[in-house]
Amino acid sequence: MDTLKTSSMRYSDEVPEGVAPEIVSALAGFAVQWSGGAGAPHPHQDRYPGVLVKREDWLPAISALRDGAGLIWLVDHTAVDYPARRPARFTVVCILMNMATQARLIVKSRVAEGESIASLTGLWHAANWAERETFDMFGIAFEGHPDLTRIFMPEDYDGFPMRRDFPLQGHLRFQD
Amino acid sequence: MATQTADMLEATGSSEGSFLLSSVQAMANWSRKNSVWPLPLGLSCCGIEFMATAMSRYDMARFGMEVARFSPRQADLLLVAGTLTYKMAHVMTRLYDQMAEPKWVIAMGACASSGGMFRSYPVVQGIDEFVPVDFYIPGCPPRPDAVLTCLIELQKKIDKDRSYRLSFSAEKVEGQTPLVEQTQLPGRGEGPAVAMATAGEHFGEDGPQKRAFRGIKPEEVR
Repeated sequence: MDTLKTSSMRYSDEVPEGVAPEIVSALAGFAVQWSGGAGAPHPHQDRYPGVLVKREDWLPAISALRDGAGLIWLVDHTAVDYPARRPARFTVVCILMNMATQARLIVKSRVAEGESIASLTGLWHAANWAERETFDMFGIAFEGHPDLTRIFMPEDYDGFPMRRDFPLQGHLRFQD
Repeated sequence: MATQTADMLEATGSSEGSFLLSSVQAMANWSRKNSVWPLPLGLSCCGIEFMATAMSRYDMARFGMEVARFSPRQADLLLVAGTLTYKMAHVMTRLYDQMAEPKWVIAMGACASSGGMFRSYPVVQGIDEFVPVDFYIPGCPPRPDAVLTCLIELQKKIDKDRSYRLSFSAEKVEGQTPLVEQTQLPGRGEGPAVAMATAGEHFGEDGPQKRAFRGIKPEEVR
């Protein structure tokens, strides 16, 4: 549970209200922390419920959610950089949706610089380009991705532009 | 090489309209400047303004430039219209390399000239990071009038080209071929400056012809 420990009040062991019981039961075998939801105490917290899973549980937990809780649609898949947070500065985020009930769930996991996380391309082909973009912008490697190359920036580009420590005014390679 | 213009012939009253004496250089410049075939690299909204320039309201065909060639082999003018990203820059340099000499480049609009308002990680801060540029058109995007003005200025520049005047009398340097003689061009200073080139360097990306044309001294060419 070390990687799930957090000092903020965002996360707790309590399941937020409005989370379907099949989601809770699908995640029964995993150590998770919950956040957000319709009754979120903090005004800036997500109205959609969120769940933080361990890095090694990323693929099995999402696989269980897809097959056991009907969250069949990968709405979005990206990452966030918190450069001051140690040891894991990145949060990898994916948003899942149940097309029958319209329920959404935000699944997160934390990755340190230089660590990798499992690819979701085995579950959704749609994850392919999203993970390439996350790799391109943040430098997070995805294990099991069929073609983990840069997608937006040229292949010889130096640096990962969406990291917070990247120069704000751009990476001017040819500056004098 | 003696040059006689039609006006001189007409003034002397001889051979009226039957033949014309000129230099190869003058003939080449005349034909080149009236048939500049552009390769439009339309990358964003500037591309739309270029299309307006080519259409009947502004009618680029009046200057012999209506034949937009989408093959670099057949184009004389690379018109970079819009925001160039680093990923696209490789494409642009490849297009430029494939164009045959003589060739000219116009940076159309703020983005192509300087990166424009996009001072960020993917945008090239001016295409002159990669290719030599003859003209920059200001505007975001420039009106078709501005594009036409630039094309007319380009015609004037082509008309001043002297690269055909090979310098046979200039002093020879061992192993090098004199390529370009800069004679007394208006505004170009005095005296003959000869750009020298070794074999194989003649038609490079930023070759001596281009550099001599921009008034760079021969010792800088080597």
